[in-house]
Amino acid sequence: MERAADRPSPARSAPSRVCDGIVASLALVPSVFVYGTVFGGLAVGAGLRSIEVLGMSLLVFAGASQFVAVPMIAAGTSPLAIVLTTYVVNMRHYLMAATLAPAFSTFPRAWLALVAHGINDESFAVAVARQNPPDPWFFIGSVVVVGGSFVGGVVVGTALGGLVADPARWGLDFAFPAVFLALVGAQLRSRADKLVALASGTLAVIVALVLPGNWHIVIAGVIVSAVAALVLDAERA
Amino acid sequence: MRGQVWLVIVGMAIVTYLTRAPLLLVLARRPLPPRLRLWLRMIPLAVLPALALPLVLVARHPDGTPVALGLGHPPLWGAIVVVGLASLRVNFLVTVAAAVATVAVLRALG
Repeated sequence: MERAADRPSPARSAPSRVCDGIVASLALVPSVFVYGTVFGGLAVGAGLRSIEVLGMSLLVFAGASQFVAVPMIAAGTSPLAIVLTTYVVNMRHYLMAATLAPAFSTFPRAWLALVAHGINDESFAVAVARQNPPDPWFFIGSVVVVGGSFVGGVVVGTALGGLVADPARWGLDFAFPAVFLALVGAQLRSRADKLVALASGTLAVIVALVLPGNWHIVIAGVIVSAVAALVLDAERA
Repeated sequence: MRGQVWLVIVGMAIVTYLTRAPLLLVLARRPLPPRLRLWLRMIPLAVLPALALPLVLVARHPDGTPVALGLGHPPLWGAIVVVGLASLRVNFLVTVAAAVATVAVLRALG
């Protein structure tokens, strides 16, 4: 049984491996920072207070789901529907946590409870691309950089966001669906991926026409992904 | 309304933590079953279009009845721009900015 601590490579100290993670993640700083800025600006434009936007970014710390929640909050959607939608959007963390878990098997549980909150797409991608199972200290270094860039961007964005008086005039209300569609576009790898995206979007439109509120997101998202997981070849995952 | 925003934020924080912590704490060295991994990978692929398409294609009158949208609906063209640029692997922020600009220009013209 191979454990992270048994592998030959980590002759290097924990601090220097944290530094490696920081350096490797510096290339992500501009895009994560601007992503946070856009979120902060749009959230303030949608009517949230700066302190609420910052609180959400620190406590939830999951950009895509925050983009999803803000227009729902602005539209007065029921809290239950927003929280459930957040859960479904963030279920991808289960996959990342499961992949990271072996690397952290020697860490104290209290540390794991803290590290868990830092799990994010960018740090996961950087750490796993480097080595798999990833280096836990490297991952922590990356989380510090990505988290700092995102929250820093949000702070700047909330300050700037109040400057735009009429977001719709500048097409900024469309930034939310644009972000969602761009995130999908970046993930479409195969014909099956495209089929899943198209089927879910179509089902969601049909459900949204019949059922008021925002339940179409959870309904279409869960049904179509589950059907795809049952039908497609499991070894693709 | 104000108190409810914090209620929503705390609820979001709790369920999000529940997607991160359990498997990191429990699943030390057992891999997930392949079909479960596949489902978890498919969820964002299904959820994001389910969010986006109704925002683009479904609008409602104040009384709740759906509005019939035509080709003059700016977000429709914005969506086409996003999908086109994203499939060409154009930078994320450039893609979003181009789509927003498309909607802004069409609204200014319309």
